[in-house]
This record gives sequence, structure tokens and C-alpha cells, in this order.
Amino acid sequence: MNLERLPNEEKLTLCRKYYFGNVYNVCVWGFAFLPFLWLVNVVWFFKEAFVKPTYTEQLQIKTYVKCSGLGFLLWVAVLTTWITIFQHFRAEWGEVGDYLSFTIPLGIP
Amino acid sequence: MGLESSKWAIIFLVCWLYKNVSCNSVEQKIYVELNNTVPCVRLLNATHQIGCQSSISGDTGVIHVLESEEDLEWPLSKGPNPPYMVLLESSLFTRSIMMKMKNESNRVAGVAVVVPNTSPPEFSPHTTCPNENTGVYSDNYGPNLAHCNTTVWNPRGNGLSYEEFDFPVFSLKEDNETEFIKQCYLDHNRAVNGSAPQYPLCAMQLFSHMHAVTNTPTCMRRNDINFSINPEMVCDPLGDYNVWGSIRPYNDTVFGHKENESVVIAAARLDSRAFFWEVSTGAEGSVSGFVTLLAAAQALREVTHEAPPTRNILFAFFQGETFDYIGSSRMVYDMENGKFVIDLDNIHSVLEIGQVALHSGNNLFLHSDPVSRRNNTVNDVVKNLVNNLQSSTAGLGFLLVEPNVSQPLPPSSLQRFLRAQPIPGIVLADHESAFNNRYYESFYDNAANLNLTYPSDLSPEEQLEFVTHTAESLTDVATVVARALYKQAGGDESRVNTIKADPKIVTQMLYGFLVSSNNSWFQAVMAPELKNILKPSPPEYYVGVAMSSTPTRLVQYLLANLTGAATNLTQSQCQKPDELPNESRQMYSYLWVQGIVPPNSTERDSFCVRASVRLTKAVSPAFELGEYASKDYSTWTESRWKFIKARIFLVASRDLEMLTLGVGVAVLFTSLLVTYFISTKADVLFSSTREPASAAY
Repeated sequence: MNLERLPNEEKLTLCRKYYFGNVYNVCVWGFAFLPFLWLVNVVWFFKEAFVKPTYTEQLQIKTYVKCSGLGFLLWVAVLTTWITIFQHFRAEWGEVGDYLSFTIPLGIP
Repeated sequence: MGLESSKWAIIFLVCWLYKNVSCNSVEQKIYVELNNTVPCVRLLNATHQIGCQSSISGDTGVIHVLESEEDLEWPLSKGPNPPYMVLLESSLFTRSIMMKMKNESNRVAGVAVVVPNTSPPEFSPHTTCPNENTGVYSDNYGPNLAHCNTTVWNPRGNGLSYEEFDFPVFSLKEDNETEFIKQCYLDHNRAVNGSAPQYPLCAMQLFSHMHAVTNTPTCMRRNDINFSINPEMVCDPLGDYNVWGSIRPYNDTVFGHKENESVVIAAARLDSRAFFWEVSTGAEGSVSGFVTLLAAAQALREVTHEAPPTRNILFAFFQGETFDYIGSSRMVYDMENGKFVIDLDNIHSVLEIGQVALHSGNNLFLHSDPVSRRNNTVNDVVKNLVNNLQSSTAGLGFLLVEPNVSQPLPPSSLQRFLRAQPIPGIVLADHESAFNNRYYESFYDNAANLNLTYPSDLSPEEQLEFVTHTAESLTDVATVVARALYKQAGGDESRVNTIKADPKIVTQMLYGFLVSSNNSWFQAVMAPELKNILKPSPPEYYVGVAMSSTPTRLVQYLLANLTGAATNLTQSQCQKPDELPNESRQMYSYLWVQGIVPPNSTERDSFCVRASVRLTKAVSPAFELGEYASKDYSTWTESRWKFIKARIFLVASRDLEMLTLGVGVAVLFTSLLVTYFISTKADVLFSSTREPASAAY
């Protein structure tokens, strides 16, 4: 979808949808904590929010982009910590580690 | 018409060319597959893992043929092209060399051992004190006798089978393939005058990736996990079936204690192991014992029909005894829990046949447990059994001697019975203290270890019938055992001297179990659907996980044929004997066997054998109870794997590989650039000559 051709209110609605995570109006869970949607939001609307010359809806778009960016970074930090800890200690945790795993590698502890 | 015929001519030509064209796979030009290899696999118990492991995509190493122990410096420190794949002659397959390689395992990719046809002077990869933690001697029972404090049973043991290696170890036979490997080494890998050998070098790749890790509780837990994406079984418990038979049949559906029933148990073990997977011949370790017991059972058949003894005699053949007494611990467990036809209280005494084929000095020894003999009742029964045994050797040329009273029992199934209850018992063996067997639980414990030699000009059928010295001496032992059992069971004293084991049967069994199982006698006693388990080589005595081991089946059918009766039943009656008035499947088992081929025909004379021979499951009670970390029962499991193979090929230097990769990547990027430029300047490069302005309108 080419953002160039959309009118500004539509851009705002889109940005909001991606921020709240209820694209396609499936349901209004809101704040679905979806890191990838937030990443898409940041990358897609970055030019719109910070580079383009000002227009009315740009302030709200800026807020959404900033919040999405923060949320995404938070998620990355949490996930990276958890993944590092799990991969390092899974073998030592024995039973707990096995029950937390979806697929257990063969032949290595 | 001309077109038609030329079309047909072309079609024929193409078909003919197609037939004559062959294709060559690049893979076949690079790799030479090694076919006669045997890997070492991973086994796990409650606390440890033993055996060998390769990485999932195989371990590759530059071949180095080891010449001496000092030559180990080359692969371990001096050699310039690590990792190395070390090729060992069997004389160098020792504990010190293997442990040195284990410590430097980042430079050793794997080991290949060449197993010769002649045996070294001695070699036993088992531990010095077999089954020391699951026997009867512990800190509570005879603490000064536990852990081989008084007698070391297997002093030659180097314990290699119970070490863990994280590189693969394969065995190669001494044949053309091994010569090819050594030639490849001499052509490419030899260091000339101290300088490093030049690439390309000859390398070997070994695949034996094992799925299970750590120990049995871990791998059984991983077997059971349900919600993982791809549930995979990673290990299986070791186990098979025990074979038992009795003089008087028991009803197979009535379990537990039987009133006024006193039984003498005659036991032997069926299995054996070696360092490598499944190649176990166990000639002295197990075959000598169970062949003697089968011969004794046959010797007792007639006299027990004519003059039945007071007590019943139960012949038990235990599987899995090598791995912490799997079979006997299961039978004792079943007896304790009322799942067997008799109870521990029904047992009068036990006579176990241990290793009996190597008696030097013409004496056999009667081992007993000194701790249980402190009880007077038990001591009296044991003394009585000793007397019965010693008096049965009249006229046979050897003596039965009791060793020093304070010596413990050797590793034997009787120890598991004693763990449950003080039962009087004797283990018959050819060694007074340490084993006479120089190759205990190794792949050299074969027919040559028993001096089983046949004159060279005999055909296989003649070899089957030829009575060897080994067969004669085992026949004498079987006669003694049969007579002693008859006396012990309270039989008629006057008939004892008529009991004689048949040397012909013993020599046929020795041939079938140690030289070639596909002989005419074994074919005659087996069932038609099982004849494929008979092979031109001796059977493998490793207990395995598939519950279908060859020795179990052979012993089952032999015991049935030797102690049972041939009947007139037809094949369909043999499968459903309960329809007949006098036959009952609860009391007997009915086996349809192939029979011999009569001289003038090609059809076999098959018939139905009725015998009181049964199979009972021999899987460790630890797996029934779910106690995978049990200290009381065997917890051995064998890992699973996807495929095992070995191949050799020439390998190039790392630098050349990196250069090739670099050039390839460079060519890729250059072509991308060139394509990009061409596409941007396409209109300049590919402009066609301008058409004259066709503005003619």
C-alpha cells in the first residue's frame, strides 16, 4: 500500500490501528502487545512522522510511532534476556526445562 | 512412406542409445562407503551414560594409522591437520591409549579399531567387578565381601565398555576395505622426512549420532512428553524374554504360592555383550553354561518320566544378566508379587551353571554364599546339595571342590534370589577365584576361546556331527548336573547312574551356537516362521531392545524339543489344542516345528511338540514401576539413532575451501553488479537503429 496516495486522516487511522493491534477490526482487544506490529508501525510511518513537513495529524502519528518504538524496544529486551537465560540453563533445569520446551534437541543435554 | 520409416528409424536409434548410456554419480566418485563396520552405541542407566557419540552430521578426521603408543603424539599434539581419525590395531586398543584420546578429544575426531581374526593374549573391556551394585553383597549384607574386596572376579577387565567417549568408535574387520584404507593413508597422509603431509589428505567420516543423553530418567521423561511439536522416542529399555521349563507342568494361569510344592531351580544365563554394538559371542561367558543346562535337561527327560522325583525341577534361562541382572531380578520380582507360577517360598534350592568350559586341572568349583550359610537350615541344604554334586562325579574323571568358605558368590543370578530371601544355592564354575576366561564380555570370547576346532577336511554337515573335546567335557559336566538335580529333587537313587548326557546333542548345540546357526539340526527344531533367524554365522548374544533375540528363541525351541514330547496333532490342532480332550494350553505350550527332511523326499516332516516350556518377560522391574532412578533394579536403556555409516574420501585444505567459497561469492556479486549496470543502461546498449519517422500520414 503506497502511503503517498492516502489522505492524512487515513494515515492516522492506519497508524493507530497498527499501534493498538486491531487491524482489520477483528476485535477491540487493544494493546495486544504485538512487537512485530509495532516494528512495522515504526518503520513504515517513520518518514511520515519525522521527515515530512508538518500537517495536522502528524503530531498524533508521532506519538503513536514513538510509543510503538518504545514498546518494541522493551519487548526486544525482555525476549533477549529470557532467550539467553533459557538457552543457557535449559539443560541444568532438567525436568522443568524439558516441560518448557517445544522441541528438545536430540543427543545433546 | 519415407518419412514414416525414417521416424521409426529415429525412434529405434534413440531407444538403443538410451539402453547403452550409463550415468555416473558425482557422489560415487568422491566417497567410498565402508560396509563392514560395527559402531559403539550409547547406553544409559540411572546415573550415567556410557558409549560413544558422534555429531549429528558426522565426524570427519584425517586418517592416521597408529603405530605405537608413542606415535599418539602426532594426532594429539604434533600433527598439523587436526582433527584426526585414529586407526588402531587391536593390540593398541588399550585403556591407556583410549583414555589419552578421550582427554584430548578436540583433536580426535574418532577411532576405528581393526579387529583381527586371531585373538590377543587377553582382553576384557568389562569392569573388574561385574554387577557390583546390584548383587547381594552390599554394606548391609556381607560388607567385607562387597565390591570385590576379597576376590576380584575379572582382574583383566579394563572397564572400556563403561567409559563415555564423545567421539565415535567403530570396528573394522581385517579385509579388503581395511587394506584400502591403509593404502589410502600410505599414499596421501604419510609425513615424508618430518615435513607435514600435503593436501589433499585421506579422511574418514563416521556417523553414529545418538539421540539419548544424560541418563535413563532424562531419556524416559523425554520419551513421554506429549505436547512437543514432534514427539520422538529417544531410548528403549533393554530386555527380552526369560525361558523356563519344568519336569512337571504348571498351570500358566494360576500364579502365586503353591501349597506343598517344593521346587529345585536349575539356572543359567543367556546373554553377553562386547564393546561394540551387538557383536557378542559369549562362548565361555554364557554359551558354556546354558548348553550344559540344556544337555542336563535332555538327560533327565527319560528318567523323570519313568520314576518322577518328589520335587519338581524348574530349568530357568535368564536374559539380560550382563546388565545388572535384568532377567533374574524380574523373575524374583514376579515371584514376590504373585505374578509367577510359584513363589519364593516354594523354592527348595538353586543350582546355577556359570562358566564351565575352561577347566584347567580337571576341577570344577562349587561356589556358595557364606553369609546365608551362617543359618543352619540353609547350611544343611547347601551341604546336602554339595554332597549330591560331589557324589555324581563317580567315574567321570574330574572332581567338584568347594573353594575357601569365606569367598563370596561370583556374579550370578543366584545373588538376586538371595537378595529377596536366604535360599540355599550353589554356582558351578570352572574358576576357583578369578575367572579363567581371558576375554570376559568381549568380542574375542568365541569358539576359539573354547578350543573348539574341527578337522579341516569336514563339510559343514560333518562338522555338525563331529564330537569335539570341548563337547565331551561339557557332556560330562551336564551328566553331573543332571544326576545331582535328580538326587536333589528326591529321585530314585538306584536310577541315578543311568542318567547320561548325550555328547552328540552337546556337540550339535556347540556347533549351532558358536559356529553356524543355520544347520540342519537347528532348522529341524525351529518353527517354519522363524527359520529366517538362522544365519551362517553364530547368533548374537546381546540382549537388545527389540524383544526378539535369536538365542532366546533357539533355547525355547531346543528346550521344548529336548524335554517335550512329539505328538500326532496336525498343524491346525497344534494352534488350537484346547479343542482336544487331553490337551490343554494352560498346562503345556504347543509348538509346530519344521522337522527333518527324510532321505527320499524334499518335504519336511513337520510335527507338533508339546512341552512345558514358557517365555516370561525379562524387562527390569524399574520400568514396570516407573522408578527410572532405581538403585535396586537394572535401569539400562539403549539410545535410538537414525542411521549409522562410515565413508572415506579425500579432503582438501581449509585454505583451498575458503578460496573456492570466496571466488564463488565474488563471482556472484560481480554478476549482480554487471546485471544492474546493464539493466540501467539497457536503452543505450540495446538501442535498435532508429526507424525512419513513419509519419507518412
